[in-house]
Amino acid sequence: MMTEQGRVVSKLLQGEFICQVSDEEGWRYLKRRDSAEQIEPHLNLLNRTLASTAEGEVFFAGYLTLGDDERKVLHQQFQETATSLVPLVEWLLLVQQASESDMPVTMGNAIRLNELQSTIEDTPAYAEQLEKISRYRLFGSTSVNLDGQLKQVFKRLTELGYLLKPNSEKQIYLATGKVEHLYEMIRFIDETESLSLSEQAEAAIQQGSLL
Amino acid sequence: MSQVLIQAGNRLLNALGRHSELIMQAYVNGTVTERDHSPKVLEQLVQLGVLWRPDPDSELRLKSAVRTLLEGSLQDERSRTINANIGASLASLKTLAEHYKEALHYGRYNDATAHMGDLTEHVYQLTESLSNSVRVMFSRIANEFGYVASVEAKIRENELAQGQVTELLYQLECFRFDELSEIAGSNRELRHLLVVSLQKSFSRAAQELSVVQARLLDLLGRFREFQGRTRLLKGYLLHMEQQPDFVPGNYTRLSQVPVLFNQAASMLKPAFADVNNVSHEAQLQEVVGSLTQLHKRQPEQHASSPDSDIDVSEQDTVSLTKDPIHREVDSFFCAVIDTGQPRSALTYYAEQGLSFDPEVWIYQVIGGFQALNDTDKQYFALEPHGRVDRTFDGNFYINDITLGLR
Repeated sequence: MMTEQGRVVSKLLQGEFICQVSDEEGWRYLKRRDSAEQIEPHLNLLNRTLASTAEGEVFFAGYLTLGDDERKVLHQQFQETATSLVPLVEWLLLVQQASESDMPVTMGNAIRLNELQSTIEDTPAYAEQLEKISRYRLFGSTSVNLDGQLKQVFKRLTELGYLLKPNSEKQIYLATGKVEHLYEMIRFIDETESLSLSEQAEAAIQQGSLL
Repeated sequence: MSQVLIQAGNRLLNALGRHSELIMQAYVNGTVTERDHSPKVLEQLVQLGVLWRPDPDSELRLKSAVRTLLEGSLQDERSRTINANIGASLASLKTLAEHYKEALHYGRYNDATAHMGDLTEHVYQLTESLSNSVRVMFSRIANEFGYVASVEAKIRENELAQGQVTELLYQLECFRFDELSEIAGSNRELRHLLVVSLQKSFSRAAQELSVVQARLLDLLGRFREFQGRTRLLKGYLLHMEQQPDFVPGNYTRLSQVPVLFNQAASMLKPAFADVNNVSHEAQLQEVVGSLTQLHKRQPEQHASSPDSDIDVSEQDTVSLTKDPIHREVDSFFCAVIDTGQPRSALTYYAEQGLSFDPEVWIYQVIGGFQALNDTDKQYFALEPHGRVDRTFDGNFYINDITLGLR
């Protein structure tokens, strides 16, 4: 049997994100300062270090020092992230608009696939939007019916770690901490490139021209 | 007087009961659809003060007193009205207390009792309206303003609620207990009403309101966070629409890569089975036992192998040539049979001048004897010569063997 420490370290080394939704025990373990200090040497040995985002609610392993090889990996990762931002953002907005509460998808949100599907089916604009989203290379759906497109998008998102299906027999998905990481990245891009995205959106809402 | 009042009240309540459907419809929809009901009924309800017409050309509506009664009893979450007019209630309390004291002073005990009843009623009304206001606040927080859909509306509702809390707190400041206790003086009943029970409800309301205020601020923060996120997402899409070729700068080239983009690659791969590890033997066997694939595949392979012609022509004869040492062992046996005398293997070896290793020769002779079938073996006897090891018993060194006929 592995100890909690060993389990957490191996999860981190597998490149997984640990948050309250995906692994509550591991998350609690990492939230304790002394246990985080305990695993740091193990990670350091492999040129990794414990990193966190979303105000310390989500943990993952980052590189300790960056050589050429590491930079190559990060560069590739970044390219993938940059190309998948638009599909992911469109998906987040679709789910938000199609849900009754108009709340953005955040960590721990439950998305009921059946409810979402019936809303999208009843609204042609959402159905069109879903079709567009599902055609992106990130999701890669070739299905012509809405059911298949939605299932494929959710399947891919679960593979990518943004969603979690706690009960394999029920079509209920939970948003993980990786969604928070996504928001953080967009926020970072917004600030670094001085895009002032919020202001743009607000101006567009006032002009009544948006979405 | 009171008899008339009771009759009028009964009439009103009966009317409410008889026309409950109409009233509830008006409560839910806001107005009464006059076409569906007889003008006589409507006229009666207007006279009883249940319905009223704000403008000559507007529709009939519920009187606010009836609406408040329903909201209070049904604990309807849509209820937003908060009776914050504590100052006026306090002023009337003070007046009534003065009436009571005056009546007592002049010995008009009947009047005094009536004033006391009024005063009690007012005090309890005030405490009830206070606790009711707090309850309304809490119920709205509890479902996070679930009765409006959009985040913007929730933020507006939250701001309204905060305004009401501030107003309530401001009104609570009107309680001046030093004044009240002065009015109550040494009268035990007055003191109980004005100081003890009011103070109790005052402190409870103040305490709960501070909790409400904290929760409201907390919620407002969350709503703003949601709003910010939505704007961020919409803004990003808008930006990508306007500048489709926008690519964020490559942050991984920076000397200090931001933590967000420094995510190490997965490095752990599955381990392999160690067949030499004895403690895993049972589990590994189980694993192998459950490999149904292995057994399934074999018949498939048989089926797929191409038919081959069977060669029925005569096979080449295989000549088995005997090893030289075998032939020598055979001839040694023959020599024993020919002479009929027991013979030492090593003597025969020396006589024939054989070239094998003597030890190999002895082994081969023993082997030759053991290889005979049981009936043949009965004719021969094999006797080893040798000595017992000096140190370890049970060890016997063979130097030579003698083969003879029985």
